[in-house]
Amino acid sequence: MRVLKAVFLGLLVLGLGAIAQVEITFWSAPNPSQEVFWRQMAEAYMATHPGVTITISPMPETPTSEAGILAAIAGGVAPTASENVFVGFGSELVKSKAIVPWNTFPEWEELVKARNISSTIKAWEFPDGNYYIIPMYVNAMLVAWRIDILRELGYERPPRTYSEVLALGERLKAKYPDKFLWLRSELEVPTWWQRWFDFFVFYYAASKGKPLITGNAITADDKAAVEVLRFFKTLRDKKLLITEPLAQGFEVGKTVMTVLGPWTFPWWKENYPELVYGKTFVLTPPPVPDWYPAEEPVYTFADAKGVVLYAQATAEQQKAMWDFIRWVLSDPEHDLAWVKVTGMLPARDDVGTNPLFTAYINEKEPALLPYAESITFAVPPIAHPQFVEIQERMGLECIYPVLTGELTPEKGWEAWKAAIKDLLK
Amino acid sequence: MKRQKELGGWLLASPYLLSAIVFFLIPLGWSLSLVFFDWNLISPTRIYVGLGNFREAVTSPRVYNAFVNTYKFMAIIVPGVLLASLCLALIVQHLPWLKQFYAVGFFLPYLASGVAIGLVVRGLLSYDSPLNEFLRQIFGSSPRWLRDPTWATLVISFMIVWKFSGYYALIFLAGLQGIPRELYEAAALDGAGPFTQFRKITLPLLYPAFYTVLVLAVGLCFGIFTEPYVLTGGGPRFSTHTWQLEIYYQAFERFRAGYGATVAVLNAVATFVSVLLIRRVVESWGAKRGFR
Repeated sequence: MRVLKAVFLGLLVLGLGAIAQVEITFWSAPNPSQEVFWRQMAEAYMATHPGVTITISPMPETPTSEAGILAAIAGGVAPTASENVFVGFGSELVKSKAIVPWNTFPEWEELVKARNISSTIKAWEFPDGNYYIIPMYVNAMLVAWRIDILRELGYERPPRTYSEVLALGERLKAKYPDKFLWLRSELEVPTWWQRWFDFFVFYYAASKGKPLITGNAITADDKAAVEVLRFFKTLRDKKLLITEPLAQGFEVGKTVMTVLGPWTFPWWKENYPELVYGKTFVLTPPPVPDWYPAEEPVYTFADAKGVVLYAQATAEQQKAMWDFIRWVLSDPEHDLAWVKVTGMLPARDDVGTNPLFTAYINEKEPALLPYAESITFAVPPIAHPQFVEIQERMGLECIYPVLTGELTPEKGWEAWKAAIKDLLK
Repeated sequence: MKRQKELGGWLLASPYLLSAIVFFLIPLGWSLSLVFFDWNLISPTRIYVGLGNFREAVTSPRVYNAFVNTYKFMAIIVPGVLLASLCLALIVQHLPWLKQFYAVGFFLPYLASGVAIGLVVRGLLSYDSPLNEFLRQIFGSSPRWLRDPTWATLVISFMIVWKFSGYYALIFLAGLQGIPRELYEAAALDGAGPFTQFRKITLPLLYPAFYTVLVLAVGLCFGIFTEPYVLTGGGPRFSTHTWQLEIYYQAFERFRAGYGATVAVLNAVATFVSVLLIRRVVESWGAKRGFR
C-alpha cells in the first residue's frame, strides 16, 4: 500500500511538473487602453496555453517611462518584455546589452510574413543588423485644419505649400485678427521630444524623408531644413504662429492648423464632440516648400514604438514571451482588436489596404484613414544613442535663436550642426 | 538601569536612524561612488573617468546657468519670502479671532501640489487668460510671461514666495508669540509709537526666527525644480534652468547617472558654501547689534 502511495505521489509530482508554469511579465505602456489590449491578449493566450502565466502591468512612468525601465533593469526587476520603446531609447538599451534581438528566434521570418511588416521592419534594423524592437504601432503625424473656418475664408481644401499657407494666414488675419494660424508654444521650449511634433514633421515633409542623422554622420537635407526654419520664422513674424501658452486653440477655433496624432481623437470625442472629421476638420500631410513637386508623396515624422525583450529574463522566459508575442502579432484579428481598443494603427504594411482594417476604419474611424495611408511615408525617430542631446540642442541652438531673430535660418541650422558634432564622435 | 535607559533611547531613535541610513547615507555613498564613472546604471561596463565628470560639469554652460540662476532667484525669493512671511505673521498675530484658522490657511499653499499650482499659473498667464485680455485692452499688449527671460524668472520666484510664505510665517508667528507683552506696555508708557515698538522690540527679538527663515530660504533656492519644470522647462535659453533640472535632465533623460551624481555633488557643495557664508554674515551682523 505504501509503495502504491509513493508511486501515486511521484506520478502526481511528475504530472504537475509536466504542466509547470513558466511565469512571464509584460509591461504595457502607461495608457489604460493599451493595458486593456494586452490583458485581453494574455487572458486569451493563457486559456489555450496552460503552461504559461502572463502578468500584465502598466510600466512605471515616474519620472518617465524610460527612467522607470532603467530603474527596473538596474534593480534587477525588469519584466520579461515591455512595449512603448522607440528606436532612440532602444539603441541606449542595446548599447547597455539590456535587450536581446528578436530575430535570433527561428520563427522570426514567419512572423515578419504573418504580420505583413516586410517594409515597415526595415526602419527598425539596428546597425548590427539585428531587430531588437518589434514595432507595435506607427502614428504618422499629420496636419489637421479647421475646414469649417477655411470654408468661411473661401477655401474648399487646405493649402499645400508654404506660400499657400501664408496666403491663408493673411486672409485669416484680415477676417479674424484675434485668430492665429498655428499654436505651438513648445516651439520655444528646448524639451527634446517636442521636436518630434514640430520641426521633424515639417523637415521630413520638405526633405522627402531624408534622415537627419545616419550612424554617426549628419545626413540632413540642408536646403529643406533651412526652408522649414524660414517658414517658422515667417509665420511668427506675421503673427500667424503663437508660441505663448493658450488655454485652448484648435479645438475652439482660435487657431486653424495643428500637428496631430490619432491618439487625440478619443479625447476629442469626449470633450469636443462638435469636432467631426470632414465637417469641422480635415487631415493632410504637412505643408511643403513651394518647390516641392505636387505629384510626389509627402513624408512625415512617425511616433512609433514597439516591444522589446529584456536580457535579464531567463532563456525559458524569453522563449515563452516570444511564443506569446508571435501568437499576438501573427493574427490580423488581434491587430484589428488593437485598433478598436487603442484607436492607434498597428505597424503593418497593409493597414491602409487590407479590407479587414479599411472596412472598420471607413465605417467607424474615418479620421484614421489618412494616417493609415501615410504610414509608408512616416519616418521613425532618430536611432542615435545621443538622441536626447541632439534634439535638445536643436531647440536651444537653432529653433529658439532663429525664432527670436538672433540667428538667420542658415546660421541657426549651421549652429545646430556644429553643436552636435562632438556628440556624434 | 542606565544601560536599559540607553537601550530605550536607541530603540526610540532607531526608526529615524534606520531611515537616515537607508534613504540618506547609502544613497549618498552610492552617489559619491558614481561620480568617477561614466555609467547609465544598466550597462555591464562602467567607464572610469577619474575627475572627468567634474571637469565637464565646471565648464558646462548648463551647470553655469544653473549656478548663476540660483543666485538670481535668491535675490528675489529671499527678500520676498522674508517680507511676505513677516507681514503674514504680523497680520495673523493681530487678528482678534480665528488666528489658528488663518495660520493654517496661509500654510496650505505649502502643502499644495507644485504641478497643480504650475498648471493653474500656466492657465492664468496663458495668452487668452482674462488677465492678458485685460492688459491688452488697457496697454495694447501683454507680457510674454513665460517666454521672456525676465518675466519667467519673476513668475517662478513669485510662485515660490507664495508657496513658502505661509510656512515661514508660522516660524515668525512662533517668534512673535514669544515676545513678552510687558515690553510693549513699557515702551508705550515711555511714549513709543507702534512703528518704534516694531523697530526697537519686535524686529530685534525676532532675530532667531529671521535667522532660521533666512537659512531655510537660501537652501530652498538650491532645490527649485517643479515650477520651472512645469512652466518653462528651464528656458527660455536657460534663464530659469536650475541645479535640480540639470540633475534630472542628466540622470533621467540622458541616462548619465555618473555625471548626474557629479552635478548633485556640486549642488551640495554650492548649497553648503552659500548657506555657510550667509550664516556667517548674518551672525556677525546680529552679534554687532547684540541680537541672539
